[in-house]
Amino acid sequence: MRNRGGWIALALAAVAAVSLAHAEDALALKDLDGAERHPLELAKGQKAAVVIFITVDCPVANGYAPEIKRLCEACGKQGIAFYLVHVDPDVTVESAKKHAQEFGYACPVLMDPKHALVKRLKAKVTPEAFVVGAEGQTLYRGRIDDRNVGFTQQRTEATTKDLREALDAVAAGKAVPTPETKAVGCFIQSLEERKP
Amino acid sequence: MNARLVVAGLCGCVLFACAARAEDAAAPEADKTAKPAALPADPPYLAKPKGSVTYTKHIAPILFNNCMSCHRNGEIAPFPLGSYRDAQKRDVQIAMIVKDRLMPPWKAEPGYGEFHDARRLTNEQIGLIQQWVDDGSPEGDAKDLPEAPKFTEGWQLGPPDLVLKMPEAYTVAAEGRDVYRCFVIPIPIDEDKYVSAVEYRPGNRKVVHHALLFLDSLGTARKKDEADPLPGFASFGGPGFLPTGGLGGWAPGALPRPLPEGTAKAIKKGSDLVLQLHFHPTGKEESELSQVGIYYSKKPPTRTLAALTMRGRKIDIPAGEKAYTIKESTTTTIDMEAIGIAPHAHLLAKDIKCNAYLPDGSVTPLIWIKDWDFNWQGQYMYEKPVKLPKGTKVEVEFTYDNSTGNPRNPSNPPKRVTWGEQTTDEMALCWVQVMPEHETDALALKAAAGRSIFGGGEGTNLRDLIKEAVKKFDEDGDGKLNDEERAKLREFYNKTRGQK
Repeated sequence: MRNRGGWIALALAAVAAVSLAHAEDALALKDLDGAERHPLELAKGQKAAVVIFITVDCPVANGYAPEIKRLCEACGKQGIAFYLVHVDPDVTVESAKKHAQEFGYACPVLMDPKHALVKRLKAKVTPEAFVVGAEGQTLYRGRIDDRNVGFTQQRTEATTKDLREALDAVAAGKAVPTPETKAVGCFIQSLEERKP
Repeated sequence: MNARLVVAGLCGCVLFACAARAEDAAAPEADKTAKPAALPADPPYLAKPKGSVTYTKHIAPILFNNCMSCHRNGEIAPFPLGSYRDAQKRDVQIAMIVKDRLMPPWKAEPGYGEFHDARRLTNEQIGLIQQWVDDGSPEGDAKDLPEAPKFTEGWQLGPPDLVLKMPEAYTVAAEGRDVYRCFVIPIPIDEDKYVSAVEYRPGNRKVVHHALLFLDSLGTARKKDEADPLPGFASFGGPGFLPTGGLGGWAPGALPRPLPEGTAKAIKKGSDLVLQLHFHPTGKEESELSQVGIYYSKKPPTRTLAALTMRGRKIDIPAGEKAYTIKESTTTTIDMEAIGIAPHAHLLAKDIKCNAYLPDGSVTPLIWIKDWDFNWQGQYMYEKPVKLPKGTKVEVEFTYDNSTGNPRNPSNPPKRVTWGEQTTDEMALCWVQVMPEHETDALALKAAAGRSIFGGGEGTNLRDLIKEAVKKFDEDGDGKLNDEERAKLREFYNKTRGQK
């Protein structure tokens, strides 16, 4: 590809075009091994990417660990990328690794200390879930299910599985029936200085 | 607490009769609009000059004194709140949670009973937090920062006389419904003991939500434990057996507190401690090994402890009903003092209110919980004993929401709900822990009162009561009651029941 100028020019043009179409492509976050990942850039054949924002200490997010693991596995089979993203700027890679090990997360865990992805997707709480399509469009945003009603109020059991329904629709190539729900959890603190 | 406890109370009635119920006593008509005589002064917040509210000067003292007992490393809360950074990066969340009074966890309405360890922020404190966040959460001058609070690590009441530990750890699954389970711990004592304080310590503060402590001197709980292959045995509302006494309970933030001077709870030799734990799955498998510290009373009690029990068993809540109410009452037959109160209901209850209607026409509010949460039930101990003179009608009203609008409704769609022990059943129970004002009335009080989770330990069981009654009325000292003595006993109990 690189041995002929024409090809290079063509490739650059193609990249530029893709970048314009997918502004998200530029967004890179490091995973727990320090490798750069592009969570909004879909690999060939992938239908969508799931991003769930977490912290090591949000009890609401942690409570979903078993469901998150099942979703991650299901996504692998459905051709959907899956990422967990830490939003706490103070969390160290070491504590994120320990957390992933404790909760048994096998999916990629990314660090977003500068809130690049938080701001891009306008995430508000942990664990808020996003399903992003090939064109960078948000196909679903909101809760994993409706178990949490308020910050300290829970249903005995969830009555809807909103994220699962969204993913099933995406996998089947259909429109997501409820593209937006309200996620309940721990607020993601803005990193902007708020002057009095 | 559970149906069997109630059965125990009813057995007592056969011989001794319970405290007079509303329907068989001439009690003053309850004033439905009763309000506390004087609400504690809590003026609304007046905004301070912009930017003048700082962490070091205003916010740190609030967090240090009201949050850090749980929000520090190694404690039950999920994150610490001991530094500026801890607070600043969660400022919006903190502001919202305190504004909605979700934290600190404290369910009792102000003015309806003055309780020990009330964790309630004032309007001023909440206003300061709101303004601090609105103004950008400034840190302020370092020299304004108060000294960080010092907490006693380990046993809060000092080294216990006896430490009881779960015989083996229990594993809580990563997810699923909350788990309610009883663990049986033999109490290794060679003689009956009086206890002045009990301290519960969870081993894993992430997973234990609350604890209730029962006593069993009959081996019933042991049998249930043996029949269940896992450590302990499953139970929901109550312990699932007939306890012979109780040693109180624990919820996050609760501080162990010795019983009032002169009182003690009895533990019979050969008893087991039955620890009922409520676990809330955390997302990963957790293991729990709890400990209970027992502090013996230096001397035998001079004051009698018992519990007035109000229970409504005729619960029948239609599916979809938004506000089903049930009222229960009892009328005191001697002068007594309330030292604590513990309402109990399951998941559908929304509002629980208890008032004392005194014979002089005045009303003493005993407790009001506007947003009942099964997961935050507890016992509330009065700062000062509350007088309940003879003839006082103590009335408790429960309101339930069995509609789909109640997210805590365990049944979806809602179904008809009646009295029972399961998660999907309801209860209407309220214990008022009391002492006789005059110790000469102790027997009458014990006869009138029932056992409870925090009643008189094992001192108020039926056999002891019969023995005590025989002793009191056996005037000729022959160890049994003749006709004349029996007639006096009957008269005494009729009087105790408040019946004509």
